[in-house]
Amino acid sequence: MSVPRLVVKAQTAMSCSLPPEIFDLIVDHLHNERTTLESCCVASKSWVLWTRNHLFAHIRFDALRPIKSWMQVFPDPSNSLSHHARTLHLCEQVVPTLTDPDVGRWIRTFHRVENLYMDIFGRDYYGVSFVQLHGFSPTLKSLTLVYTSVSLKEVFNLICSFPLLEDLGFIRYAPTGPIIDEWNPPPASPKLTGSLRINGGLRSIVRRLCDLPGGLHFSKISVFHNNDEGPTLATDLVSKCSDTLESFTISHCAPGTLVSASMISRHLTAVRERRRVWDTFA
Amino acid sequence: MSVDASGIPSLDLSEATKLKDVELHYCMSTRWVITMFRTAKSENLQRITVILSTATVTQIEEEVYREWQDLDHLLLQLWTSRSIRPKVVHKRGRRKGGMRDVASRLLPELAKRGVVVVE
Repeated sequence: MSVPRLVVKAQTAMSCSLPPEIFDLIVDHLHNERTTLESCCVASKSWVLWTRNHLFAHIRFDALRPIKSWMQVFPDPSNSLSHHARTLHLCEQVVPTLTDPDVGRWIRTFHRVENLYMDIFGRDYYGVSFVQLHGFSPTLKSLTLVYTSVSLKEVFNLICSFPLLEDLGFIRYAPTGPIIDEWNPPPASPKLTGSLRINGGLRSIVRRLCDLPGGLHFSKISVFHNNDEGPTLATDLVSKCSDTLESFTISHCAPGTLVSASMISRHLTAVRERRRVWDTFA
Repeated sequence: MSVDASGIPSLDLSEATKLKDVELHYCMSTRWVITMFRTAKSENLQRITVILSTATVTQIEEEVYREWQDLDHLLLQLWTSRSIRPKVVHKRGRRKGGMRDVASRLLPELAKRGVVVVE
């Protein structure tokens, strides 16, 4: 950390003579240096706005308490730091609270988010509605769902509420597939021109994807499967994206090994680390 | 939908005409991989990566050895005729030593040309 601190001191002395675009480049280089960005924030008032774009670019909520704290600190959405957020992580304890209208209004302050991670494995979320999340960020480009049990109807209604969505990721942490419930596809769906990753629950997800009225236009597909049905379903996907597909990955895992103990362990370690970072910051 | 000798449906890539990059991890059978690559008609195909696991290799018996030779031949053919350079990554897991020899015996032509990597 000693080198970035020295850089900050040098910039403090030169701040008046630096053109804004150069300063912007310098701050961009520091995007992974949280401590340095925090130092920049207190070094000069004029630097605050620049650094906040990086400091609040990735927001993760692991529990209801931080959400309530955030809502108390920023009661007025126009003054909220949420408009700096480009990536939003919502974890397992947060998702059931989304039925609360206050939380629903709060989530809409994150209207510039481009990447949404819903990390909701470990519990049964079949009965939970995602309607409060519908279209909360019109610029959303990427949605990743890590789940155990979830209603695909809710998931696909959510997908269809983001018109600019490009990338989709489904990662299942359960031996059984997602719940297939009756679903009437809406009249329009996003173009889905980016990447698709499916790890588990291939059959039900492919079935729903093929129902999307806007068709599929993925350029990159990555599929994990563990039974003989996998190649057939993957062929369906390839055929649906035949005009756009540039990269295709297929992985076969023995039944029951789609999610290994090491994957769960790695995931939990990552969750713990993010909680530690959040606690330090809070 | 065609089915390979083991009864596993094959994956058909013939409609993906813009495909540039294909990656296979721990595939179901060598015959299945061969069948799939034979369907790849894309003229844009530039990269093929096959990742094998230790488990895949330990399961190999004499009767399927010829299938590996066929795969070796097919990938080499794609390389020489269509300039698609293959890469074979052999994940050895916790086992140490001897894996390069196994991969070299299974895919001799590719190993000779240095495209088989043991990790």
